[in-house]
Amino acid sequence: MVSILRDLRYILIENRMGLIGFAIIMFFTLIAIFADIIAPYNPYELVGPPYTPPNERFILGTNDIGQDIFSEFIYGSRISLYVGFTAPILSSIIGTILGIIAGYLGGYIDELVVGAVDVMLALPSLPLIIILAAYLGPSLNNIILVLAIFGWPGFARMVRSQVLSLRERAYVEAARATGAGSFRIMFRHILPHVVPLVIANIVLSATSAILTEAGLSFLGLGDPIAKSWGQILRRAQVGHALHQGLWLWVFTPGLAIALLGTGFTLLGVAIEEKVNPRLKHSRR
Amino acid sequence: MLAVFFIIIILNFILPRAMPGNPASILANEYNLPPETVKILVSLWKLDRPLHEQFVAYIESLFTGQWGYSYKYYPRTVYELVMERLPWTLLLQGVTSITVPAFGMLMGILAGWRRGTKYDVAVTISAIIVYAIPYYWLALMFQYVFGYQLRIFPIAHALTPGASYSNFLEYVADVLWHLTLPVLVVTLTAYASYTLVTRNSMVDILEEDFMFVARAKGLPERTLMKHALRNALLPPLTMLAIRLGHIVGGAVITETVFSYPGVGYLIYESIMFKDYPVLNAAFFMLSITVIVANFAADLLYAVVDPRIRYVRRG
Repeated sequence: MVSILRDLRYILIENRMGLIGFAIIMFFTLIAIFADIIAPYNPYELVGPPYTPPNERFILGTNDIGQDIFSEFIYGSRISLYVGFTAPILSSIIGTILGIIAGYLGGYIDELVVGAVDVMLALPSLPLIIILAAYLGPSLNNIILVLAIFGWPGFARMVRSQVLSLRERAYVEAARATGAGSFRIMFRHILPHVVPLVIANIVLSATSAILTEAGLSFLGLGDPIAKSWGQILRRAQVGHALHQGLWLWVFTPGLAIALLGTGFTLLGVAIEEKVNPRLKHSRR
Repeated sequence: MLAVFFIIIILNFILPRAMPGNPASILANEYNLPPETVKILVSLWKLDRPLHEQFVAYIESLFTGQWGYSYKYYPRTVYELVMERLPWTLLLQGVTSITVPAFGMLMGILAGWRRGTKYDVAVTISAIIVYAIPYYWLALMFQYVFGYQLRIFPIAHALTPGASYSNFLEYVADVLWHLTLPVLVVTLTAYASYTLVTRNSMVDILEEDFMFVARAKGLPERTLMKHALRNALLPPLTMLAIRLGHIVGGAVITETVFSYPGVGYLIYESIMFKDYPVLNAAFFMLSITVIVANFAADLLYAVVDPRIRYVRRG
């Protein structure tokens, strides 16, 4: 317990990258939680004339149908954070379970999982994600599902390689000698040792989940009802915002995506530095 | 690799058949085709046959280019549409597949060589930020600055619409002029992962004993650099195989933002118009491109690293 607190202190306070990353994520989390208070308007309501340039009533102006862009932007943080957390967590659950089973049991189960992972990693994922999203229909949960389908192989490969070395440790052998079953060893004794690395990778893959969701929304494959940053960018593109010089409409949501993504990467790198034994040894 | 190929073929077969309606009835509704024509189409595409016969017919048609008709551009065939677009995608992806790793590795080499300096820190941090930048966003901002404000680069298309060229050089110049912004944006947003990997591998190599000995012998910097590079570039080159697929896969978004008339933009258009036959064929071609690019990168890796030799397995 104390060592976990010490690790947290290192990641969040002493490591400057971790601190900045954590601050960025907290900033957007607060915006998402208090969106109802911060946003001046209901983002779905038509509150002004279309294509209003930024003024004191509408900080970022209004979109092509007269919704307040700043309010849309505030609520958009909820979608990005939701996708950024759920998609990698879902992938990590599938990947970790398969990785542990494959690594511990070995044999043809291992070969099966490794084969599936190799194939999945070799598939052209972005075109496939686009085509699956097109066929499944536009909904946020479909996007998360598709992201998880392509996210689990990375987790499975990483967990499996960890388990391969963990299962040879003395304490696992001791557990086996006392008659613990495979299931118990895998999930009581091995799982806790891979969790830190899994968490680091959840945070690291949040960035690509956020980027992919925004990209799909930008292409018009996102949930048309959910107000996401990608959706705002799409409306700006379809509504020829730049042609009319309304550059803030494009600039703000994209900057937010980049910032939040950077936050997750910085925090992820900081956690990984602490928990990945390979990285720790190579640091001089 | 065969398995990947196989899965793409299977998906291409299953997905359209999981959708409501079949190509013949959709075409009939859209263009008021007479029932006799529909009957001919149904029997031509074997839509009335059991699934396994459909599958055989599908495989056959896949390799003979009989990909059916576009819903949107009927009566143009899918094959025509895709082949018309493919050269543009190959051009754009070919150029960025070189510029992205080249620029990324160069930044990484310089950062690793001067490890621990302010320059190193700046390169690493900017790579982390760049990694999170959505490139369609940077594309839009570049379009705003260079296209709408400064008016020095075109913001769309691969050629000036309606232009006529008096000689081949003019044509090439126009192509390159339209290519500049897309290549610039893709390079600036995709280089980051190469930089990080190259930098780390460079730092690792520089700490090796053989580098220490080389330095102690008093070898000139140039020679030291050569020793380091031969080893340090191997990890980013392995990554080439994985990332090439990503660059090519990004074609859909890149080409859409710039209305660049490649296969990626075709995919976007066919999604918007629910033009499923075109969607499938375009996806098939894009996937093939990715697989071939990966294979090429694998071969390149074997050439660069003498320790790797491909052995035929099973």
